[in-house]
Amino acid sequence: MKVGVDRRRCVGQGMCVLYAPQAFVLSDEDGCAEPRFEDVPTDQEDAVRRAFDACPEQAIVVIG
Amino acid sequence: MNTQFGSKANPIAFDHESPEHADNWVAEFRDMREKCPVGWTEHHGGFWVATSYAAVVDMARDTGSFSSHKSFDPQTGTGSGGITIPFTPIPRGLPVESDPPEWNALRGFINRRFAPKAVEAFRDDARLYATALLNRVIETGEMDLVNDFTGPVPAMVTMKMMGLPLSEWREFADPLHAMVFTPKEAPEYASVVAGVEWIFRRCAEEFVRYKDQPEEDNLLSFFAHQQVDGRKLSLDEVLSLANNIIIGGVDTTTALTTHALAYLADHPEAKARLMADPSLIPFAREEFLRFFTPIHCLARNVTQDTAINGQDLEQGDRVMLAWAAANRDPEIFEKPDEVQFDRSSNRHLAFGSGIHRCIGSSFARMMFEEMIAQMFARIPEWEVDRAASQRYRSVGTINGWESMPIHFAPGSRVACSLEI
Ligand code: HEM
Ligand code: SF4
Repeated sequence: MKVGVDRRRCVGQGMCVLYAPQAFVLSDEDGCAEPRFEDVPTDQEDAVRRAFDACPEQAIVVIG
Repeated sequence: MNTQFGSKANPIAFDHESPEHADNWVAEFRDMREKCPVGWTEHHGGFWVATSYAAVVDMARDTGSFSSHKSFDPQTGTGSGGITIPFTPIPRGLPVESDPPEWNALRGFINRRFAPKAVEAFRDDARLYATALLNRVIETGEMDLVNDFTGPVPAMVTMKMMGLPLSEWREFADPLHAMVFTPKEAPEYASVVAGVEWIFRRCAEEFVRYKDQPEEDNLLSFFAHQQVDGRKLSLDEVLSLANNIIIGGVDTTTALTTHALAYLADHPEAKARLMADPSLIPFAREEFLRFFTPIHCLARNVTQDTAINGQDLEQGDRVMLAWAAANRDPEIFEKPDEVQFDRSSNRHLAFGSGIHRCIGSSFARMMFEEMIAQMFARIPEWEVDRAASQRYRSVGTINGWESMPIHFAPGSRVACSLEI
């Protein structure tokens, strides 16, 4: 499973960090999300899926 | 001509400012969402209301067709547009009442000051103010939750962030709150307006003073020294920024925290759960944001003819995005009228959506956490005097409480470097 954040859509809602604190970090510059990895470790897959569902901007891209 | 239900020819009866809406908004929004998720009402000169999650999000993201721009002429006191219905005859808030590209420059200029790291630097301050405010009342066994606690904490954090002297906290907190609920016809309205004007006069005075001093770590000093697109900000722009940050951040956070504390008093099992497992508090907070939606709805200007949900929106129309209705849409939220701390995901719109999405959400979240933690630690049991509590008579703009007296077992003051 791979994860990314579409920076054109992300407005820094921060819901991703709530559901998957080990997978995303909010930037100190503009508050937008950055994934901490591209290849999702197996134990993070559930959390990343919940973050994907919780993002109101549909800015999280998940493949696989 | 379009005559379907909710069209201009066949309008709905909706007034977000009415007492009926305040008493009955959940059912009213449900009805509108089911029958016409985008509908026209004749109140306040006529405007569209979007109540489904999909319609609200589509409009919020399409800033090309739905503009936030406001114009205002201080000479005549007239203008148009902006995010409030009816029109508010004061200068616009920035960045909230601007469109790209003006918005990009201003939001880019202030973003860093509201990012999570910048907010964490204020956590100790929020804790200090919350501690000092409870010290003021804890020995008496009673307080007005709004006026003694959930109002002043965000007001004081905001003053610190802006670079205003903390000693003026009462003069700062009271008019910001009273402005939201005092009817324009009321005899005290003039003094409330004067109080709000005083706050912005103080912002102007401090801004001018900061210009002559080396830059300090606060927003007014930042505005005085830094440049946007290679130029200094004008005083008008600074006041518009201050307006948006102060009015956008204080009473909203107050409303959220007051609703949450009232809910927890009524639901001891929910409170016990949060006290036993504080890692649930952020999830509870997001659910309270969804459920109570402190900012019920905000407006846009329609800039080109657009068809949505079978309705014809015309250039020059006004449209209201009902965040509170979207947050109860069963298409998105299972059992939307229940408070559930463990929703598997919660994509609520309490902070808006699209480019104008709340810049202060990390601040709001942090202040909420500090207020709840302080209550849990020092006043673990409280009872709300519902008969004496007064909800805002209109919840159309802010869904909050004028006052909420609570009783509790008297406790003791704790050591605190701030005496207020
Ligand atoms: C629970 C508390 C809060 C709620 C419910 C809330 C809600 C909102 C909403 C719905 C918007 C979108 C406006 C629009 O689409 O037209 C917004 C924007 C904004 N909020 Fe908040 N807010 C809160 C706290 C704060 C705080 C604490 C601050 C400041 C420290 C703040 C500052 C702003 C600003 C400056 C904007 C405009 C952003 C832009 O136009 O780019 N808000 N807020
Ligand atoms: S929840 Fe979505 S919009 Fe929000 S910070 Fe995360 S990726 Fe960005």
